[in-house]
Amino acid sequence: MQNLFRSSLAFVLALCCQTNLSFAAEQPAAKQKIAVVVSTLNNPWFVVLGETAKARAVELGYDATIFDSQNDTAKEASHFENLIAAGYKAVLFNPTDANGSVANVQKAKAAGLPVFCIDREINSTNAATAQMLSDNYSGCVALGQHFVKVVGKEGKYAELLGLVGDNNTWNRSKGFHSVVDRFPGLKMVAQQSADFDRAKGLEVFESILQKNPDIAAVFCGNDAMAMGAYQALVAAGKADKVKVFGFDGADDVVKLIAEKKIAATGMQFPKVMAQKAAEFADEYIKGKRDFQQKIPVKVELVTPENVSKYGDYGKKN
Amino acid sequence: MRWSGWLIAVAVVASLCWRFPLFHVVPLERAAKEKAAATFDPKAFAEKFWNDQLLTSIAKAVKAEVLLPAIQSNAAEAKRKYSRSIGVSESYTYFISGQGRVLAVNDDEVSLAVTEGATNAEVSLQTGLLFSNAMRDGTGLLSVNDYPNSQDFNAISEALNRIIEERVLPKLRESAKVGAIISFVGCADVNDESTDLKPLKVIPVKAEVK
Repeated sequence: MQNLFRSSLAFVLALCCQTNLSFAAEQPAAKQKIAVVVSTLNNPWFVVLGETAKARAVELGYDATIFDSQNDTAKEASHFENLIAAGYKAVLFNPTDANGSVANVQKAKAAGLPVFCIDREINSTNAATAQMLSDNYSGCVALGQHFVKVVGKEGKYAELLGLVGDNNTWNRSKGFHSVVDRFPGLKMVAQQSADFDRAKGLEVFESILQKNPDIAAVFCGNDAMAMGAYQALVAAGKADKVKVFGFDGADDVVKLIAEKKIAATGMQFPKVMAQKAAEFADEYIKGKRDFQQKIPVKVELVTPENVSKYGDYGKKN
Repeated sequence: MRWSGWLIAVAVVASLCWRFPLFHVVPLERAAKEKAAATFDPKAFAEKFWNDQLLTSIAKAVKAEVLLPAIQSNAAEAKRKYSRSIGVSESYTYFISGQGRVLAVNDDEVSLAVTEGATNAEVSLQTGLLFSNAMRDGTGLLSVNDYPNSQDFNAISEALNRIIEERVLPKLRESAKVGAIISFVGCADVNDESTDLKPLKVIPVKAEVK
């Protein structure tokens, strides 16, 4: 009787195990998670960057979530703490501050979480696994040369800077000035930060325009500020007198270049960078470890002469 | 007993603070000097790089009589074999050396025929204001990965271009006359495969009239 009971129990247990196994096999395995941490979603260019990174990660078989740092390093730090605790496998990261974001990446690294910087760099070569960066300096050297060609070797101009803590701001400004400052007849009458923000660009440039009604051009560190500056010029009735130069390759600016309302921009290829970063994360998760630390991505000059080749945040096929 | 305990504790804390001070008092002048020393100096770096690495590496440049025919017969293959490029980019650089006869001289360039009997310019030595990264990137001696802040890496380009503008170009402009034979070493920046390479635009690191 006891033997019969033992045999029955063993049979029931075996059946349960088998049932559990087959049940487990039928359940889809939980997807691994990739985090996309973006400096701000208050700018269409970064929305494209974040959405593309997320879409590519999903295509590669991951669950991907976008975190908006709202240009705030404290929010960014909080995102990193949360995603480290939540078991993410990789971070596709667009930093808020070249120095201020290093600690977050180091924290992730210490927790065994690889971080792939996109577009903006951090001032460290041993924290992130790799950094896909726009070659902002060279892009703005080309833009500066075009500026001199269009505006001429004499005239007054203004500059709208991006976030002062971001290396891109200074790489762009220095690339531009490495050319324009060689022409003493070109005088910069105002240089102010508008934080890469369209509304601030409008506000700051309105004020510059009031104080300097005779300027010939404005160089803006990104296209959002260029759109703000262009809006200010339209409101002041000077859109055809002052030449606007942007940087990013945002769709609205590319369209205005085609209409000859904005002089030029630098196409940064956010989709290429975001997709590549997601692919790097996938390769890391699958075992690859030898990544080049910094991968500059060329920026191309977009002007009315070649604008037909560009659109949708990249080069048309 | 109580007092002696306190005394021992104070002595331990004092000796720890003496051995591992919580802060250092540094004269402002010394602090300023230390900060300056820690800051990257692109001019000093470019000067050292120019003398110690660039001028000693010119033998590694590909010969014009090899590169130019290779470009003309198969530009893509020449690019694959002899060029360098950084990151994700359609642009690339050549490090080239050669000798040519001056065909023309104008404000921004000296045009050379490299092949015997050639009547069209095959190489154009750039003598105007320089804005390219060709010298920084063309030799493969410098890597962006060695610079935590890419502003430093970019500043090297500007400093190298200034050295060329000050030391190489004035002598070249002065001595380049039509018909003169010039030997040169330099870097050429090619925007993409659609760029017209007739002539190849070279920024000279060295240019001497024979």
